[in-house]
Amino acid sequence: MKKIMVGNHAVSWGVMLARAEVISAYPITPQTTIVEELSVLCADGRLKAKFIPVESEHSAMACCIGASAAGVRTFTATSGQGLALMHEMLHWAAGARLPVVMANVSRALGSPWNIWGEQSDSLSQRDTGWLQLYCESNQEVLDTVIQAFKIAEEIRLPVMLVLDAFFLSHTAEPVEIPEQSLVDDFLPRYQAEFRLDPKDPHSFGCLSPPEYFMEFRYKMQQSMLQGKEVSRRVDEEFGGSFGRKYGLIEAYRCEGADLILVTSGTIASTARVVVDSLREKGRKVGIVKVRLFRPFPKEELWEVLRDAEKVAVVDRNVSFGVGGIFAHEIRAAFCNEKARPPIFSYIAGLGGRDVTPKVLNDMVYQTYERPEPEEQSVWVGMRS
Amino acid sequence: MSEQIIFKREEDMPYHAISFAPMTWNKTGSWRYLRPRFENKIPPCHEGCPAGQNIEGAMVLIGKGKVLEAWELFKEENPFPGVCGRVCFHPCESSCNRGDFDEAVSINALERFLADASSRQGRRLSRTLEKREGKVAIIGSGPAGLTCAYHLARMGYEATVFEALPVLGGMLRVGIPEYRLPKKVLEEEIDQILELGVKAEVNVRLGEEFLLSDLKEYRAIFLAMGNHRSKRLGIPGEDAQGVMSGLEFLKNINLGREVVLGKRVAVIGGGNTAFDAARLALRLGAKPFILYRRTREEMPAFLSEILEAEEEGIEISYLVSPVCLIAENGRISRLECVKNRLGPPDEDGRRRPVEIKGSNFMLQVDQVISAIGEEADFSALPKTVKTQENAVLTDERGATKHKGVFAGGDIIHQPRTVVHAIGSGKRAAIFIDCLLKKRKWEDLFEALRIGERGSLSMRRYLQEESLRLPLSLKTVSLKDLNLDYFDYKKRSKMPKAQISKRLGSFAEVNLGFSEETAVAEANRCFNCGVCNLCDNCYIFCPDVAILKQGEEEPNVIDYDHCKGCGICVEECPRDALVMEEEGK
Repeated sequence: MKKIMVGNHAVSWGVMLARAEVISAYPITPQTTIVEELSVLCADGRLKAKFIPVESEHSAMACCIGASAAGVRTFTATSGQGLALMHEMLHWAAGARLPVVMANVSRALGSPWNIWGEQSDSLSQRDTGWLQLYCESNQEVLDTVIQAFKIAEEIRLPVMLVLDAFFLSHTAEPVEIPEQSLVDDFLPRYQAEFRLDPKDPHSFGCLSPPEYFMEFRYKMQQSMLQGKEVSRRVDEEFGGSFGRKYGLIEAYRCEGADLILVTSGTIASTARVVVDSLREKGRKVGIVKVRLFRPFPKEELWEVLRDAEKVAVVDRNVSFGVGGIFAHEIRAAFCNEKARPPIFSYIAGLGGRDVTPKVLNDMVYQTYERPEPEEQSVWVGMRS
Repeated sequence: MSEQIIFKREEDMPYHAISFAPMTWNKTGSWRYLRPRFENKIPPCHEGCPAGQNIEGAMVLIGKGKVLEAWELFKEENPFPGVCGRVCFHPCESSCNRGDFDEAVSINALERFLADASSRQGRRLSRTLEKREGKVAIIGSGPAGLTCAYHLARMGYEATVFEALPVLGGMLRVGIPEYRLPKKVLEEEIDQILELGVKAEVNVRLGEEFLLSDLKEYRAIFLAMGNHRSKRLGIPGEDAQGVMSGLEFLKNINLGREVVLGKRVAVIGGGNTAFDAARLALRLGAKPFILYRRTREEMPAFLSEILEAEEEGIEISYLVSPVCLIAENGRISRLECVKNRLGPPDEDGRRRPVEIKGSNFMLQVDQVISAIGEEADFSALPKTVKTQENAVLTDERGATKHKGVFAGGDIIHQPRTVVHAIGSGKRAAIFIDCLLKKRKWEDLFEALRIGERGSLSMRRYLQEESLRLPLSLKTVSLKDLNLDYFDYKKRSKMPKAQISKRLGSFAEVNLGFSEETAVAEANRCFNCGVCNLCDNCYIFCPDVAILKQGEEEPNVIDYDHCKGCGICVEECPRDALVMEEEGK
């Protein structure tokens, strides 16, 4: 069955199909309609979940942590400032090894006040121990919610899926709604190995002194690395069941490409159009869409990017004092490789500014023209 | 005690921090560096009561409907709750922390309530079976003397009271009018004292029927004769017919003697005796008026007395002094007065009246009652009992310079109130007991004192020394309480007889609380510094380290698991817990 729906409702319907048992969230633009739709689904009985309204995102995540520790499938959603407020609890959820799934509608962080799309909110949380998946379409959003629970519950780490504010959250697209029975087969009921149970009391998250703490962290890192393989397998299985899969990264028209544009989220859709038209003009340009950001898919990127003459990375984010974060991560990942392509870093579309085909075209031509990358990220689409 | 689990390798560890065995090998109490402790402190009412009554305990009991238990608690310190519940000037209420919050608890009215309730139920104290060696003589049967006799009898001593008047009770009997203190109430409480084995002889006056030297068979003597001599006005015409002292007037009426008053009765003075005399004259059909040389601000009478007299329509003239009494045909007929203004304060801090020259005026009177103060008569005392400025000199025990002779009540240096007299009688009983047992007494003040204002606890004195809990030195103030737990609630008002019913009658003016009012009023008490088993600590303790011992039993702290967070101390509404450094 296909339905026309906005990205936020695709999140809500994904959560319904995944049969989440506890939802706790606090509304924030542009995430609000996720929570509204979920509360409707809970209220009319289509989703049999406990919906817990709270007074802040910090409490929302605390609620999810408690519920997940009790062994139930748990979901929340937020955006921008709300995610920032959750920060402390994000570390806790990951450290407690709880498979909470969260949708983050990416939004610029104030000040100045801004409610539009930018990845700085989720990327600020990249070291919290959450897996991060960046989505390009409403269909991918719905499918990723279902995949996210399966990944999280297998490696016992929380998963954040990211969709761009307004470009996805408030834009309607046709979305194929999977059969519930197929989803149930793909994603069976969550079985926690340990759960809070008064009949079998254990202390959770108890004090771990220096002689133990490091081992817990080591295990987290091992699980995070394992998360890449698990994410790939889950995506494959999903493809087998539902006919759609997305990969950890996606290479588009990269065969024989001398220049590859690296993108994520909705900019990838625009880039596909730009690349199609450049290919028509005989330019050997391809794009790579990064879907999994944590754990970082270094090998997958290397396989695709190693043969390109130049790589241009578009970042809708900025790490002040460094520049574009995706570009920075790719440079760091490749630094021990010999004969690596030069990485050109571009910053565009901050605070919801449109990244139009022209902006991407300019980026491509600039990259062709420059023999070496600039020392600093180049800001494109500025007022002039 | 469980074994501590030690993981040797990373692979052996669970994927997250979870306990697999209890932590009894390392109880969380070991984290603590501050330690909460239950400690009852001194409520200001208890400290403020010169008779040392356990007011906070009685409030808890009345609040739970256990009125007779509350009465017994009061009786441990004071044989006269029925009397005090009517005539005490209740310094407990002026000390009450609730007074700084909304209005003080009506402690005085509740004291009366519990005494009246026990009286209605015919409740009696049981007689002490223990007998102790040593007879004690008590001179004077006022509140000081009878209190001393009461406590001595309860300790097993044979106490004999010698009373100059034909009736027992001293000032309570002859100095306070019926409408404030009904004879029935006083007699019942005196009867209870006699039932304990106290002997009494009446119509025996020291210096007339006997001397101290006649009392050789007694091992201790308590002097409590009171101040029964009225001060003279010191103006011409004072000895004319129709001039009487307030005390004499009250005594005559209280003893049932006939007194002929005219219509216009001038009462001179601003103390309680003046007001009692005026209000009594009013009830006898006269038209009394009060003349006072200063203003209402400086009046020594209790405010309640002044207000009730005003309610009853008694006229009070301020800044007026008598100059001369003029008799006609041998009987007083006119009173010459002079107007005053207030001058600088005198040694007691009250502003001194200064005569306005030439402001003299004349009043028509049928009767003058002078009530400008009372004094003691020490003419019958031996030289070895030292006196100074109308008072017998005593040490902190109430002992005079004459070995074995103690003194109390209005004849020693202390405020001349019923409750101070009761306190001094109790103190004398404690130290007479020490004397007769040859017990050291110097350490007792530390063990028995309730706060800083001289109250002593008979209950603590009678406890086994080894069982006595250490006494807190802290008096609880309003800022020590957690006021989030208390709502504003008005003080219950004492119902009073209608004015029209008061005139021409000696019936009691104040009518007492109903049980419902009493319970509600007692529940207004903050129970400052005293655990009333409210269980707030139990509810709030995040570590379940407050343990319940059963109904009506105090909670205890499980120090094996108390981490010393202090929430119990913070959330205690009444400051009944303290926080201390660990290891002290």
